[in-house]
Order: sequence, then C-alpha cells, then structure tokens
Amino acid sequence: MEPLSWTGTLGPVLNPLLLAAAVVFAVSVIVQIVLSVFVPRPVAEGPTVAAPRTVVDYVGWAVMGSFGVIVAVCLAYLAIGPMMPGYQGKGIVGAVSLQLMPVWIALIVTFALSMTFKRRLGLYGKLFDSTIGMIGFALVMFWVFAGVFGAMDLIVTHGALEQASGMKNKPPGTPLRGAEAGEYPYYLLGGDNLARDVFSRMIKGAWEVIRIAPFATLFAFMVGITLGLPAAYYGGRLDTFLSFLANLILAFPVILLFYLLVTPEIVATGIPVYMAAVLFLFPIIFFSVLFNSRFHTQTTKRAIYIGSTLVVGLWLYSGIAWNADPLGLIEFPPNLLVVFVAVVFVNSPTVFRIVRGLALDIKTRDYVAAAQTRGEGPWYIMLWEILPNARGPLIVDFCLRIGYTTILLGTLGFFGLGLSPESPDWGSTINEGRKLLTIYLHPALPPALALLSLVLGLNLLADGLREESLRD
Amino acid sequence: MTKDTGDGRIHPAAEMYADEYRAGLIDRREFLARATSMGVGAAAAYGLIGLNAPARAAEHMQQGGTLRIQQSVKGMKDPRAYDWSEIGNQSRGFLEYLVEYNSDGSFRPMLLDSWEVNDDATQYILNVRQGVTWNNGDAFTAEDVARNIAGWCDKNMADNSMASRMGGLIDQDTGQAREGAIEVTDEHTVVLNLSAPDVSVIANMSDYPAAIVHSSYEGGSPFDNGIGTGPFRPVSMEVGINCILERNTDHEWWGTEIYGGPYVDRIEFIDYGTDPSAWVAAAESEEVDLLYETVGDFIDVMDAIGWTKTETVTAATIVFRGNQEAEVGGMKPYSDVRVRRALAMAVDNAVLLELGYSDRGRVAANHHVCPIHPAYADIGPAAFDPDGAVALLEEAEMADFEHELITVDDDWQRNTGDALAAQLRDAGIPVQRTILPGNTFWNKWTEYPLSATQWNHRPLEVQVLTLAYRSGEAWNEAAYANPDFDALINRANAIADADARSEVIAEVEQLLRDDGVIIQPYWRSLYNHHNGNVVNGEKHPAHEIHLYKIGFAA
Amino acid sequence: MGLFILRRVVVMLLTALCLTFIVFFLTNLYPNLEKLAKTQGNMRMTDEQVATWLGERGYDRNLFVKYGEWLGVLPGYVVEAEDGTVRGRCIDAGMTPEEAPRFCGVLQGDWGYSTVFREPAGEIVFKRLGLTGWLMLAVMCVMVPGALIIGVLAGMREGSKLDRSLSTASIMTTATPEYVSGVIFIAVFASSAVGLKWFKGTATSAMDNITWENFTLPVLTIALYGMGYIARMTRASMAEVMTAQYIRTARLKGVKFRTIVLKHALRNALIAPFTVIMLQFPWLLNGVVIVETLFNYKGFGWTLVEAAGNNDIELLLGVSVVSVFVVLVTQLISDIGYVYLNPRIRVT
Repeated sequence: MEPLSWTGTLGPVLNPLLLAAAVVFAVSVIVQIVLSVFVPRPVAEGPTVAAPRTVVDYVGWAVMGSFGVIVAVCLAYLAIGPMMPGYQGKGIVGAVSLQLMPVWIALIVTFALSMTFKRRLGLYGKLFDSTIGMIGFALVMFWVFAGVFGAMDLIVTHGALEQASGMKNKPPGTPLRGAEAGEYPYYLLGGDNLARDVFSRMIKGAWEVIRIAPFATLFAFMVGITLGLPAAYYGGRLDTFLSFLANLILAFPVILLFYLLVTPEIVATGIPVYMAAVLFLFPIIFFSVLFNSRFHTQTTKRAIYIGSTLVVGLWLYSGIAWNADPLGLIEFPPNLLVVFVAVVFVNSPTVFRIVRGLALDIKTRDYVAAAQTRGEGPWYIMLWEILPNARGPLIVDFCLRIGYTTILLGTLGFFGLGLSPESPDWGSTINEGRKLLTIYLHPALPPALALLSLVLGLNLLADGLREESLRD
Repeated sequence: MTKDTGDGRIHPAAEMYADEYRAGLIDRREFLARATSMGVGAAAAYGLIGLNAPARAAEHMQQGGTLRIQQSVKGMKDPRAYDWSEIGNQSRGFLEYLVEYNSDGSFRPMLLDSWEVNDDATQYILNVRQGVTWNNGDAFTAEDVARNIAGWCDKNMADNSMASRMGGLIDQDTGQAREGAIEVTDEHTVVLNLSAPDVSVIANMSDYPAAIVHSSYEGGSPFDNGIGTGPFRPVSMEVGINCILERNTDHEWWGTEIYGGPYVDRIEFIDYGTDPSAWVAAAESEEVDLLYETVGDFIDVMDAIGWTKTETVTAATIVFRGNQEAEVGGMKPYSDVRVRRALAMAVDNAVLLELGYSDRGRVAANHHVCPIHPAYADIGPAAFDPDGAVALLEEAEMADFEHELITVDDDWQRNTGDALAAQLRDAGIPVQRTILPGNTFWNKWTEYPLSATQWNHRPLEVQVLTLAYRSGEAWNEAAYANPDFDALINRANAIADADARSEVIAEVEQLLRDDGVIIQPYWRSLYNHHNGNVVNGEKHPAHEIHLYKIGFAA
Repeated sequence: MGLFILRRVVVMLLTALCLTFIVFFLTNLYPNLEKLAKTQGNMRMTDEQVATWLGERGYDRNLFVKYGEWLGVLPGYVVEAEDGTVRGRCIDAGMTPEEAPRFCGVLQGDWGYSTVFREPAGEIVFKRLGLTGWLMLAVMCVMVPGALIIGVLAGMREGSKLDRSLSTASIMTTATPEYVSGVIFIAVFASSAVGLKWFKGTATSAMDNITWENFTLPVLTIALYGMGYIARMTRASMAEVMTAQYIRTARLKGVKFRTIVLKHALRNALIAPFTVIMLQFPWLLNGVVIVETLFNYKGFGWTLVEAAGNNDIELLLGVSVVSVFVVLVTQLISDIGYVYLNPRIRVT
C-alpha cells in the first residue's frame, strides 16, 4: 500500500490556493503592522464625515480576505476530506477528521443548543457573545470531547500501548505492515519510538489530562475556598496563621516540592495517602457546611442534602484517598494519587490567596452588612452571600488554573516524576519525543500542539469570561 | 612490543588454541582472549597464528591538543569500591592497572611485565614490570603489587567489590588475604597461591576496580592523593560537571618507549547528564570530540550529523529475571519454575532486539554465555511458544497473575522492557510496567520481583556466571540457588583450558535455560562516535577509555 | 516603614525555619536515607550494610537532634565505627576529633557538606547561584523591555489590530511551557536536521564563556514564557490608564498622541507591571530549573535537581534557604516599590 498524502484528492486543487492565500495573508499582515505604527490613524472629523479610504483600509481588506480563504480551505479539508472515497482520497487530514466525527457532531450540537438558548444560560450564555470566548470554548470542548470519546474507544485507531512491528518512527500516513481485517490500516500521524500510533496516543493522552487537570483544580478550589473565606471573614489569628501557611507553601519552588513529594521513596512512606486524607476531606466539609448553613432551619431538607453529601463524599473519599472503596468501583493507583495530591497541594495556597483577597473586599459591602443585621450565621454569609458575588473572578481563575495544571502535569512528565512511564499523557510523550526531535519531528509535535491548543483555549475562554463578566 | 612470558615458556594450551584457530574452530578474537589469559603476550599470541600484531596509528597522530570527552562525571571513591566504569576512566590517566583488556579480546601487560599460570590455574607468577616509577619519584616494586592485591582481598571493607573476585586468596575466617597466598619472591616477582582453581584472576586484574594505588593512599578520592604511575596528573574534578587531567610533564612514563603515547596534553571529561539528546546537542555544538557511548536511535542521529562511528561486539547484555525469593501479595510468584519458563517462552528474543535495540547486536539464548566467550557452547536458540507459555501458566494456576515489570529509565533498557511487556500482553499474560529513575532503581535492584538489569561485558564466561548465579552471591539478583549449578560452575572454574571447560559450560547453559532463570534477549554491540579527528578512540567492550592511546589525527 | 520591614524580616526567618524543617523531615525519611546510603556507598549494598553506613554517619538519630545540629544549636555528633575510625559532624578531613569544634551549623556559618558533589554545600550554592544570576540577568534584560514594549503598544489603542495580534501572541507564549518551546527552539535553530544551526543546543560552555551562540536559546526560552504574562498585565494597566480622565483631558487639549503615551500614561501604567515583574522572580526559578536541565547549564536549578534526585540533604537545605530568601525578598521589594511608585498608598 502507498503511504497517505496529507490532503488526499483535494490536495492538488486546494493546496495551491491555500499557499497563495497564506502568502497574501503574511505579506498584508506585516504591511498592516508597519503601517499602524508609522501612519497616524486618521481622526474622524466629526460624526457625519466618513474618513477617506487610505492604503490602510485596502491592506485591511487583503488581510480579511486572505484570512477568509485560509479558513475556508481548512474547513474544506476537514469537512469535504472525509467524504472523499477511499483512504487515499481522504488523505491524512480527511481521515483524521473522519475519526474525529463524534467530536465534530458533539461540538456542533453543543454550539447549536447554547446559541439558541444563550439568553437563559447566564454567564455561560454570555460567553457566546464574545468571539474570543467562543474560540476558546470550542478549543477546550474539542479536547474534552476528544478525551471522553477517546476513552470510550470511539476515535482511536489503535491501542495506546499497542506496538506494531516495522512501524518504529515511521512518518505520518504510513500503512500498517500486515494489517489484519478489522484493523485500521494506517498510522495516521506516524509511529513513535516504540512503534505505537502517535494519533491514538495523543487522543488517549487527552483523556489523561482531562480527567486529572480539572478535578485537581476543582479540589484545589474547594480547599482554597473552605480556608480562604473564614480567613478573610474572621481575620485575626486565624487569618495570620492560614496566610503564613499559604505563604510557606508558596515559598517552595514548585519543582523542589515535586521532587520531595512525587518520588517512589515518599510513596513508600505513605505520606501522600495522609496528605490525600487531609486534602480530600475539604470537599466534604465544604458541601456539608454549604448545605447546613442554607437549610439549618429546614431539618428534612438539611438531613437529605447533608446525608447524601456524606454518603457519596465518604464513599469517594475512601476510594480516592485510602484506595479502600467498599464497593470496589473506584480505584486510585498510588502513583496517580501522588501526582493528584501534589498538584492540589501546589495550587491550593494560590486559590486561598485569591479567595481571601476577594472576600476581604466583598465583606465590606452593604449586602453583607444587611445579612449580618438579619442575623444570618457567619457560614451562611460566607458561602451564600460572599462566594456567589466572587464567582466571576473565580471562574476566570479556574479556567486559567486548569491550563496551569496541565502545564504542571507536563513538567512532572518532563522530569520523569509521577505518572506511569508508558502513560500517553502529553507531558510524558513530549519528553519522550523530544529526545529524537532532531531527526523525527512527528512523535513530539502532536502532543505539543495539543497541549498548546488546550492551554490556549483555556486562556481565551478565561479572557472571554472576564470580558463578559465585567459587562455586568 | 610485549615480551613473552618470563622464561619464554608458552603455555601448552595456547599452542593448542593456535591449532584450533588454524583449523577454523575458533575465531581470532576468541583465540586472543584464550591465549593471552594464559599468559601469552599479545604479540606472541598473534605470532602463534602467524599474524603481525595490528600496527598502531602512531605515525598519523599529532602530539598535543585537548581531548574533550562526553562522559558522566561521578564521585570518586576508593578504587576497590568503584561501581561505574566512568569512575575508572576518570582515574585511569594516573592510576594504572596490572593488565589491560583490549577490544580485540587480548590482555596486554601494563604494570606487569608478564605472568605465568600453572595448568590447573591454582598458581600465578606475576612478573612486575621494571623501570616503572610513581609520579612522586618512588620506584614501583613487587611490594606495591602485593599490597594492592592484599587490599583487594579485604572483605571487611563493606563496599569492596574486588573481594568477591579474589576468593581463592582470601581466608574466609579473617576476611583478609590468606597467609602465604601472596608471596613476594623478589623485587619484581609476586606469586599468588590460590586455594581453589580460578581461571579469571588475570581478567579480574584488568577490571576497573583493580586500579593500583600508592602506599600513601588512605582511602577517599584518589584525586586528593594524586600519586599514580600513569602519564597524566589530576587537575580538578567536580562531580556532575567535569574532570580534568593533564599530561604530567615532570614524570617520565614507562609506557612511552614500550607502547607509545601519551599524545594529548589535556583531557577533559565533560558531563552532559544522562539524556542522550543533550550529548547530540553537545556534539552539534562542537563542544566535545568523543562520546563515551552512543545508544539506540542516537546512533543514527550521530551518523546523520556526520560523526564517525566505532563499534565493538561485546558480551554486554540485558537480563530479565524473576527473583525467586521475592514475595508479591503474600506468595512467591517466581519460585515456580513453570512461571519463569512460561515468561521466557512467551518472548521472541529477536523482536526485543529489533524494538529494544534496533537490531544492533546478536540474539541471545537465555543462558548468559556469549559466542565470543572462550568456552561458549552452542545449545541452540531459546524456544518461542506463546501458547505453550499460557498453558504452563494455567498449569501453575498463575494465568491471571499480573506481573509487574520494572526497568530503569534508560533509553534502550526501558524500550526493551516495553517491548517485552507488549509481547507478554500479546500472549495473553497480564503485565504492568514500572519505570524507575536510575537513582531509585539501583536501590533495590536485586530485590525486585521482576525486573531487567544490564550486565557489562566480562572477558570470561565463568566470571559473570559465578557473580550472578551462584547461590548466595551478592549480585545473584534472581535469588537462584541450585546446588547442581554451583557444583558445575565450581568445576568450570577449575578448568584452565577453555575447550575442556566448554563441555561443562554447555551443561551450565542448559541448566540455566531449563530452570527459566533469565530471559536474556540479546547481546549488545556497543558504539561510540567521535568527530573524525580522533585516533584510537574506538569503543571498548568494557567502556574503558585508554587515554594514553588517544590522539588527534595529524 | 522600619517596623514594617522588621516584621517582614521576622516572618521571613520564621518561614525559612519552617520550610527547612519540612525539607529536613522529608529528606530524612528512611527510604530516602536508604537511597542516600546506596548512592554514596555502593549501589548494591545489603540492608545491614545500609544500617551500619547510616549509623556510622549519624543519620539514624532523632530528627530534632539532627535538625538542631544542622542549625548549630546542638553540638555535632561523634560516632565511633566498629573498625575504630571516629566520624563526627564537625570533624573535617585531616582533623582529629579533639581539634574539631563542638558546634558546626548554619549559625556558625557552616552549611554542611554535599554528599553528591563532595564539597561544602555553601560554596556550591553560591557558585551555582552566580551562574544562574547571569542567566536571570540576561532573561530580565530581554523579557522586561520586550514585555513592556509589547504591553504598552497593545494597550495604548485598545481593540486595534495591533492590540489584537499582540495580545494573541502574548497568550500564545503563556500557553507554551518551557519544555515545549525549548525543545522546538533546539530542533529548529540548533539541529543539523533543520540545518539552520544558528545557535548551540547546549549552554554548557556558557559556564566559562557566555557567547551569543550558547546563551541565546536558553534565555529566549525562559523569557518567552514569562513575557506574555507581563505583557498582558502591562496592556491591561495601560488600557485602564488610557481611559482615565486626565488622559482624555490631555487629548482634548490637543496634546500629541506620542507625548500623551510617553509623558502622561507610561509612569502610571508601569506601577502594576512592576509588582508583577518582582513577583515573577520566584516563578522564573521554575523556568530556570527546566531550562538548565534541558540545556545542561549547571546553575542553581540544575543543582536543585541533582540534590533532590540524589537526596543530598544538606545541599537541598541550602538550596531551599536560598529560594525562600529570593521569594520573600522579592515580595518585600515589590511591596516597598509599590509604595514608592504609588503615592496613594501608605504603609503603617
């Protein structure tokens, strides 16, 4: 079999067009930047007179036009490519796009629904008013869907650990030697150093990241909020003590902390388990106090909410922290636990500081005073008055922090700490791929670009959210 | 060049080997290893088979220059405790050895002038080279040799790795050299009387912990003492950064008139960490002249950037073994021979060679005796039978047991481990992979239930077999304890003649394989690269860098 | 002000004390000590040998006593081994037990001995810190002006094309961690595969002699990641200042745009970035560790990795003290500087 080309039968038609558009785009962007620095912007003389057209405007059109062509061609590759007959016709891009079909469908459905009902969806709905926010959201959801469907074995073409003889370091589009019926006949993005499929590993890696980074960040937020609110609200000794503790952890260089915590020796001592035992109590405390303060007058509701929190919480707790789930459903291998704990531990103090700062500001507001006069308890005020009003900046920080956590996980992979070495997570794959980067680019680049685009998406999403929440 | 053994007597076995060589029974390399370990000088050995010793490239070398070698720089310690070939290289410029093992398989006398072995390998007469001085002016005598050998025999020094190789000289009660084992008969002769036959004494004297130190050396870093017989002197050294030697111009080195050299004025070992891509970067930046070792895919990378490759075939290898005493979840999975054999049968060694080491070596046959060893016996390739493996496991009621395969985080070792894990999975045997960083891995390397260990090249097959598989040996990582094996290996150790020994070795090989002690997929060839200007920088099978031989092309 | 600084110094000492104790505790856990014994003694030691090795070197005693000795508030141990050699914390090579001082800890100016590098820990830390200092200096020289220029250009006309492209570029750089950008830089600019070979892919030679070729890539790698963040802060701050009343007044008065930006807006717009830049120092340390490992530049970050990887207790403590010091001092400077730059804030 012939190796696949990148763009299949569409290539000869669209490639020259893409190239031409790219050249025009690059030239016009440079010209535009140069012009915007040297040519003063014509100041509109009064509201009615339109500014005369200048070179700047023509260049602007060139930029817009060529950019439009580029986007259209790329979309054509992605949308029309998969419809071409045969693997040769589809090319690598088309075939990848076809594999990603569940993701495209899920994305389109999500966007269609969200756009339709955006007025009823609060801050989330407002996101769809901002282009930047939408691009960010699309990038993030792309990887979320890819991760989830990948974990369900919908997208991947081969197993993440499957090695095929003769596929070591083979370039993208190489046909699988001796493929059996039912096996995908190509390595779409090539084979890595151990003859594993790069495309499948990247998708599987998305799942590794998607299941660790957001949850670790979420836990860090629970810890930070549970400690940050009372520190700000009560102040005094408690505040001094907690702030000192937070600053203490922040004074550690992150990598030193990782080197001290995420080693097999430390795992052997059982310290991560104890840390997990402490850190993972916080979500349970958080939810219990949250419901208790709200419903302490309605005893039945309180019993239901707190009861269910405790049952579910303690079940998860025993499974995650102690690896002793009575039902045997949750498994948390020790080396994953230690990574999780370390990441939560590193992130919590920063969240604590942010929450504390926000709460200090908000507690001087009138509605807090009003609640105090009403005789509400301190935890009600903290969790139901202060916290909802601090949600904007917190959500923004949450998005940014998931990105930061993704980078941290990669850093761990880079130093060979933590996750299982065969794990397809992006950090480890980048680290492995970089060793041979001087001759084989393809094993390292896909995970690197994946990581880059996910973090970029999270940053853009955070930007969009920030803009929209400021408009309130 | 070298003289023959002291009285001109050629060991009868050596002449027999020469006949075998001429009859095509053994190859040149094997002949040299056998003959020179019997005390025949390399030139004489070449002479026996009618060849001239290979001419050195001295006339093409220029005098002077700074040689920069990429190599890990490790902390210095008492030579007897050396645990890395690199440490040996760091001191090799000034601490010399009695004997030097060369990549053609021969032993070259260095501080010894020659040696004689009796026929059953129980008595060694060492003739110390005359005219050698220490770089502080003291004369080098038989007393120095005897003192060093006695030091090697000191079992009370906790990390003395020479003691286990000098068993025939040691009094087991005192843990010191036996009375009368080391005799100084005159100023230039030392006689070793072994309590049991041992054919590997000379080979052991060439190994890196056997560096000869001065009487004023009292432990610690040899760099602080700095007294040796070699042509270089230590300048400075920082662990993990660099180690610098320079030519000792105040000292007249004995070897200049005999072997030639040294050629360069200054030697810098520069540490670029353990990541081979950093070595490539160093090479591309022209910051080094010679790489210590090129591994795996980086051989192609280095070829691609235009460096000159050198290759040496060796008995260096990787061994996967189940520790027969290790407990996993309350039982000892690898104490059952069926489990061990099943794992070996599920693995196609050739695939491990392809995926783990890019086919750069020879397929091995699970018995840790290499075709280039003098007493190798061919007992055929190892069996590959995944279905049989699963059947065996089912018979042992271990088919569902999830094996945990541990390797060190090192390019080719982990690749081989991953490939092995994949093969076991293909056969339907559940396996989990764990990769530990070097520092952590070596903590408990002998104790892991199932792990891979790299074994260096050793000149004689009995050396590694004794070290790694005899009951109770410190490095017996498989916890293999079989009285039959012990008896066989002790017998082999008493047969100086390699041909006769190979009959015993054949039994040893079969026993190791039948007991499923190891999965030993391949023998590695070793490679290094230099920038094309270096002469005599060829890779050495035991990772030695003979600094005095190396120079720059004129 | 004096009282403020005094209080901060006290907190700093307390933090350093707590932090070193945590490091001390973690590195003195038995599995870590075992690792230490095996790396220092012999990789292939038995458990009994490890126990004797640790005993002879005083590692097997109470944690608090050992910590006290390191601090120099308790007298150093003296242990006699089975073979009669006497070892003591304060007994250096070539010293008899009688000559040795009783105390030798941080308070006496003795930072202990590095087991990996076999040199006094204090010397190593300062030598390596010097090397990292050059790297940091170069990074700052590239990063700060670069980030400020980008931020000011982007922020002076919010929403313009220039703003959008510069902002996107800044986000891109913050989304590219050092281990990605460094790798790509080496592949593109230093490898024979691409063939540009403008720079060197290793900075080892920069330890003796910094040149354009060997220092550009590591500096660029760190600077790029930090640059985006500072640039975005500057942009936000600049954009806010540009909408302020006094700027509008100036514009209405007909002052030239360039003058407005340079004379009126810049000073006020730079207060916030200043804090960010100072707080960036400890954060740069992470980048330094990655880049020094990647480019084999043997500075402070590399020392940290070596010390942590080999459980070199006293060196690691020295490294921790220095990093705490850097973090807290930069915080202090940023607080004080903030006060000086912003007349509306007074510290009491």
